[in-house]
Amino acid sequence: MMLRVTVLLLLAFMTLPTVVVIAVSFNPTAILSFPPAGFSWRWYVNVLTYPQFQRAAWNSLLVTGGAVALALPIGTLAALALERARLRGRALWAAALLSPLVAPGVAAGLGFLILAAALGLLRSRVVLITAHVALVLPFVVRSVWVSVRNLDPALERAAASLGASPRRAFFRVTLPLLRPGLFAALLFAVVVSVNEFVVSLFISNRVTEILPVAMFTYVVNYTDPTIAALSSLFIAATFLVIWLADRFLDLGRVFLQH
Amino acid sequence: MRLLLLPAIAVLAVFAAALTALFRWSLLEFIPGSLVPGGYTLDNFRAVLTPQYLHAVRDTVVLAALTTILTLVASYPVAYALARTPSRAVRSALLVLTLAPFFTGAIVRTYAWVLVLGNTVVTWPVPMLFTERGVLVGLVHFSMPTMILILAAALSHIDPAYERAAASLGARPARVFWRVTLPLSRPGIISGGLIVFAWTLSAFPTPELLGGGKVKMIANVVKDLGLDSFNWPGAAAFAMLALALTLALLTAAGRVTGSRAA
Amino acid sequence: MRSRFLASLAGALLGVTLLAPAAHAQNALVVSVWGGNWKDTVEKVIGKAFTAKTGMPVEFEVGGTIDRLAKARVAKGNPLVDLNFTTTHVARLYISDGLYEKLDMAKLPSAKEIAKEAIRSDYHVGSWAYVYTVVYRPDLVKEDITKWSDLWKPSLKGKIAMPDFDPSHIITIAALMEGGNEVNWQKGEARLKQLKESIAAFFSTDAQSQDLMKTGQAPVQVMLSVNAYHLQEQGISVKVVQPTDYPGIVGIDTMAVMAGTKKSDAAHQFINIALSKEIQAELVKALRAGPVNLGATVPANLKGQPGIFATTAEWKERGYIMNDEARAKNLPGWREWFTANIVKK
Repeated sequence: MMLRVTVLLLLAFMTLPTVVVIAVSFNPTAILSFPPAGFSWRWYVNVLTYPQFQRAAWNSLLVTGGAVALALPIGTLAALALERARLRGRALWAAALLSPLVAPGVAAGLGFLILAAALGLLRSRVVLITAHVALVLPFVVRSVWVSVRNLDPALERAAASLGASPRRAFFRVTLPLLRPGLFAALLFAVVVSVNEFVVSLFISNRVTEILPVAMFTYVVNYTDPTIAALSSLFIAATFLVIWLADRFLDLGRVFLQH
Repeated sequence: MRLLLLPAIAVLAVFAAALTALFRWSLLEFIPGSLVPGGYTLDNFRAVLTPQYLHAVRDTVVLAALTTILTLVASYPVAYALARTPSRAVRSALLVLTLAPFFTGAIVRTYAWVLVLGNTVVTWPVPMLFTERGVLVGLVHFSMPTMILILAAALSHIDPAYERAAASLGARPARVFWRVTLPLSRPGIISGGLIVFAWTLSAFPTPELLGGGKVKMIANVVKDLGLDSFNWPGAAAFAMLALALTLALLTAAGRVTGSRAA
Repeated sequence: MRSRFLASLAGALLGVTLLAPAAHAQNALVVSVWGGNWKDTVEKVIGKAFTAKTGMPVEFEVGGTIDRLAKARVAKGNPLVDLNFTTTHVARLYISDGLYEKLDMAKLPSAKEIAKEAIRSDYHVGSWAYVYTVVYRPDLVKEDITKWSDLWKPSLKGKIAMPDFDPSHIITIAALMEGGNEVNWQKGEARLKQLKESIAAFFSTDAQSQDLMKTGQAPVQVMLSVNAYHLQEQGISVKVVQPTDYPGIVGIDTMAVMAGTKKSDAAHQFINIALSKEIQAELVKALRAGPVNLGATVPANLKGQPGIFATTAEWKERGYIMNDEARAKNLPGWREWFTANIVKK
C-alpha cells in the first residue's frame, strides 16, 4: 500500500511539469500563470505563424528525413554483418558502433563544429545531417540487430533453394522478416533526431537550425507562453507515437529484457 | 558479408574525425578575437585548473553526485512497480509515463521546469529558479526515466524464486526486500548510478535554462567558451575533460554489468 | 515493387535534403539586434516599411550585446550581418576593431532632422533612447521608492536584481553619490560593496530580468525603461521611478553598417527609414522610448515619462548622459571588478 502511494507521488512528480506546460499554453495573456486565467489559442497560432519556427520545422524535416534515410540502410547492413559475418572481436565492433552514444553532446558538437570549419562547411546542412546519422546509428543498429538475431536462416536458405538470387532473397524474405526491428529503428531514429539539441546547437546557424534549437533561442529571448504551446504539441505527438508503439510492439519486451 | 560493415564504419570514421579535431584543438593556443589558433600548448588544460573554472568542475561533480543519489532513491519504487506488476495495463501505463518524457526532448522538459520553479504553480518559500536547487530538481527529473528503465530491467532479471524462498522461510515482505531483492539488484543500481552520473556530468540544457547563467556545469562552460567567446581551444579542453570522465565512468559501468551478468 | 519504391523514396529524400538551398532568402538584408520585443518592434515598424519600399525582405540575427560583438569579431571582413544595432558605447568597441564602415551621410537625408547628439560618430547614429532607472512592483514592495539611494535601504535587502553584463549604471550612480563620476568611479567602490547583500540576483538577459520581475523573485530592479513599459503592456504592474536624487542613466541604441557588407546601399536605406519622422513616431509608441528625430510626435500620454524625453533640454535635465568613450574604455574593467567584488559570493 505504501509502495502504491509512493509510486503515485513519484509519478505525479514526473508528470507535473507536463501538466503545467499544457495548462499554461492556454493562457490568454503573456503572464505565465497556473491555473490559467482564461482560455486562448493565441500562443498556438503564434507557434504556427512564427517564421523562425516554420523554417526550423522545415529544417527538422530535412535533417531528420535525410539522417533516417541514410541511417536505416547503413544500420541494417551493419546489424546483418555483426550477426552473420566472420568477425574477429565482434564485441569490439559492436561497442564501436554504439560508441557515439557515449560522447558528451558538447564534445561531439564542438568537434563537428571544428571539423566543419576546417572543411569550409560551416553554413551547409551536410555536417548537421552527418552528425545526426552518427548519433542515430547506434539506436538503429541495436534495434535491427535484435530482429536479425531472431531470424531463422532456414527461411532464407529455403528461398535460395527455390531459385531466388541473394538480392531477391534479401528484399523478399529477409527485409520483411526484419520489420519489427526496422520499425523500432525508424521510431527511435526519428525521435532521437527530432529532439537532438546539444550537438545541433553547435553546428547549426540561424538558417539551418532545427526545431529544438529554435525553441531554445526563443526561451532565452522571450518570456511568453509560446514555447508552452509548442511543447504541448510535442508532448501530444510523443504520447501518440509511444502509445502506438506500445500497441504494436509491446514495449515491455523491448525495454525490460536485454 | 564483412563488407556490409563498411558504410557504418565510414560514419564512425567521421565521428572519430570530429573527436580527433577536438583533441587536437584542445592542445592549440587560443588567439582572442580570431578563429585561427596558434601553436601547441598546454595552456588550455592549465586554464581548467584556475579557481574560476575549477569551481565549475567541482560544482558539476557535486551536482552530478547529488543527482545520482536522489534519482536512485526516487526511481527505485517506480522501477519495482514496473518490474513486478502482474497487470499488463499497469505496466503499459507506467512504461508510457516513464518513456514519454524521454521522447519529448530536452527543451520541452526543461522549459516545463522553468515554469514550475518560476512560481507559476506555487510560490516557493525559497527561490528555486536560477539557483542550484532548481537545477538539481531538473536534473533528477531528467534522469529518472533512464534510471527507472535500468533498475526495472535489473529487477526483472531477478528470479522470483529467491524471494519466494525467503518468504517461505518466514521473512516478512519488508525483510525480503532489504535482504534479498535489494542486494540482488545491486548490479542495476551500480550501473544505473554510474550511467546517470556520467550523463549528468555533461548535462547542458538543464543548467543552461534553469541556472540562469549562475549555475555553470562543465557543458555550459564549453558552450560559453566555444559559442560565445569563440575560444575553441579552451572549450575543447573542457570538452575533452568531460569526454574522459564519461568514458572512465561508463567503462566502469560496463565492467559491473559484464562481470555480474544477472 | 515496394522495396524499389522505398529505395527511390529514400533517394529522393536524400536528394532534396542535399540540394535544398542552404541560405533561405539570399537577397535579404540581415539585421543584428537584441531579441524579444526589440526584434519584434524593429521587424514590425522599420522592417515592414523597408520591405514595402524596397521589396527586399529583412532577416534578423538576435543575441545579447556582447555575444553579437564576439560573433562580429570572428566574422570580420566577411560579415554574416549587414546592419548592426548596439548600444552607443559598445559601438565604440566595434569601431576600434574596424567592424563598421563609415556612414555616407548623403544617403541619409533623414539624419538632418535628428538631434545633433544622436549622431554619435562618423560610423554610428542613434536610433532611440531610454533610461536605466529603478523599477519595482508596488504590490510586492510596500513602500515608495523615489530615489537611487533608496536601493541601499535595509528594508529592500534581498529584493534587488541588476544586470551583470553591464554594470555601468550602478557604478556611475555610486560614484555620483560620492562626488565622483564615471571617470573617477573608484570613489563609489565602498558604496557599491555596501549594496552587495541587498542584491538577490543578477540577470544576463532581458528575458531573465522579466522572469525575475514576473515571478516576484526580485521585485526591485535596475532596469531599462523600455523593458519596464513592456512588462506593463503584458499586464504586470510595475512603477518606473524618475529618481529625485540623481537622474536615470541615459542609454542610446545605435545603428551602423558592417564593414565588408555587400548590401551597404540597402543598409543605408534601412537607417534612413528608421530615422524618418513617421517611423520614429511609431517607434516611440511601440517601444516607449525617446525619439532621436526632433520632429517625431510623442503622444500626450507618454510625454515626460522616464526615458521618453522629446527635447534635447529634457534629456539633459532628466537624464544623466555618460561620456561614451570613458564608458567604452572602462567597460571591460568595470565588468571584471563588478564580477569579482559584487557578483561573486
